[in-house]
Amino acid sequence: MTIEMFEKPLGMRDDFPLIAKQKADLRKQGTQLIERAGYELLQTPTLEYYETIGKISAISDDALFKLLDSQGKTLVLRPDMTSPIARVAASKLLREKMPIRLGYYSNVFRAQKREGGRPAEFEQMGVELIGDDSLYADAEVISLAWDILKELDVGSARTVIGHTRLLELILADFGLDAEQSGKVRELFVAKNGVGVEQLAKELPIPEGKLASFLKLMQATTVADWKQWINEENEEQRELYRDMERLEQLLGRNGLGDAVTFDISFSSHMTYYTGLVFEFYGAGSGFPLGSGGRYDGLMEQFGLQVGATGFGLRVDRLLESVTPEKAEQPHTLILFDEQNEQYAFDKAQQLRNSGKRVTLQYAPAVKALEPFTALFTEVIRGEELHNG
Amino acid sequence: MDELTIAMPKGRIFEEAYELLVGAGYDLPKELDDSRKLIVEAPNEKFRFILAKPMDVPTYVEHGVADIGIAGKDVLLEHDRDVHELLDLGISACYIATAGLPDTEMDEVTPRIATKYPAVASHYYRSKGEQVEIIELNGSIELAPLIGLSDRIVDIVSTGRTLKDNGLVEYEKIADITSRLIANPVSYRLKQQRITELVDKLREQVER
Repeated sequence: MTIEMFEKPLGMRDDFPLIAKQKADLRKQGTQLIERAGYELLQTPTLEYYETIGKISAISDDALFKLLDSQGKTLVLRPDMTSPIARVAASKLLREKMPIRLGYYSNVFRAQKREGGRPAEFEQMGVELIGDDSLYADAEVISLAWDILKELDVGSARTVIGHTRLLELILADFGLDAEQSGKVRELFVAKNGVGVEQLAKELPIPEGKLASFLKLMQATTVADWKQWINEENEEQRELYRDMERLEQLLGRNGLGDAVTFDISFSSHMTYYTGLVFEFYGAGSGFPLGSGGRYDGLMEQFGLQVGATGFGLRVDRLLESVTPEKAEQPHTLILFDEQNEQYAFDKAQQLRNSGKRVTLQYAPAVKALEPFTALFTEVIRGEELHNG
Repeated sequence: MDELTIAMPKGRIFEEAYELLVGAGYDLPKELDDSRKLIVEAPNEKFRFILAKPMDVPTYVEHGVADIGIAGKDVLLEHDRDVHELLDLGISACYIATAGLPDTEMDEVTPRIATKYPAVASHYYRSKGEQVEIIELNGSIELAPLIGLSDRIVDIVSTGRTLKDNGLVEYEKIADITSRLIANPVSYRLKQQRITELVDKLREQVER
């Protein structure tokens, strides 16, 4: 099969100037907030070893772009940012300075199987707070993501919060073993209510508890969770108390009404061990971003520390954000041999005063009319020469 | 009250779903389906219906242009879409099965399977460890074994009438199919109250 001149690999996109501009603006707004919150931005390599990052990343194997280096080692294009940052944080360099706050704005790669329309490369913006296992760390990253959504003016933004560990404990109390609760979690991830109802019939859940089990997917507040908490279990009691405090903390940070506490909320990213959350907004049919606590991931790098963070998808944020329509002033100076010096001086002078100026040799433009229409102001060389 | 966009398949499923909605107490206009319009409004309930091809309903919902939709489980199985499956509506019940000419063995090396559901068929035979060649057709699947195109077919069976009329018999049942209420994950969160209310009302109807 021949490759057509204008074709790009599956899922790859050109960003035309307008989008590139919007992305640059969004990046500026977002990273500024991230830095102001005390996070340092970093950049990790585009290529990583399959054996380490590829396997740890929790992105399914067939979504990885793999290639071989000159020594025959398998490499991957980085599929996420959390695992490379965990690696960096776990390296000797940063180990002593815990807790550390790292932020990023980077492109990641995930191979697409269907519909050429889905991007295989997209930017993510986010933070990782490593070395702090307190509730305040969780509240901090959720609030920071929220501040970014507010700054970008995302309409009807909402966040959903769940707790992986607490859900695990509650499912165990329903009499499910690890394999069974794994199956339930999978259905919870897809919010497959029908599947859960069907599965519930096969599970060893006591008759009297079935109704309570089926209600797991309907909780929206922390108070709703109370019905499943076993007061005799110390861990459950404490985690529940944490959730109550988190609700207060977030309320204080202005998230109050915009949070749904859904105990059944789970992530397909298997490295999350505690709190998990996801962000939504009007304008995009897909979640804007997600995050959670991933202490288990740090363990894989030999570090027993708490870590939490979020990542927002820039392509989806763009769908949710209304770009500023106001046209930026843009001056065109057309010159020819007779007045080139005047034109150059004028351009320099305007640029120094902060204006955006395009300098163009007039005879080189084939169709003057449509070209000049692109600018808000047109200055002709002869005007400068004469005046 | 948020407006709710609902993607519905045209035809029989639409009528049954319409009855369910009316039964659940929703005030819908009398004649919704008989026009050639692709978008119809039910202003009293702030519903907007998108009338679509059954196969396309999950696509609209996945992309969020429809908040919720009604789709057959067969379509959901075939196209693995990122949508929430909220409720089994119990309407348009049927099942997917394999069928073929009576008393025939499948070809030993690579039997050929004609179907409108290549993903379902491929998954089924793979789970049994059988290597097959899948032939995708768009309709009149029953024709395939009759003219020697395939050993078996994988298709929807509701009454079994079509199979019988064409001298075919059913071999194995693959999955039960009914229509499901599905939701876009983001709409589900942003309009959770309205959607949950709808699910509860419909559930009452379904369980009656």
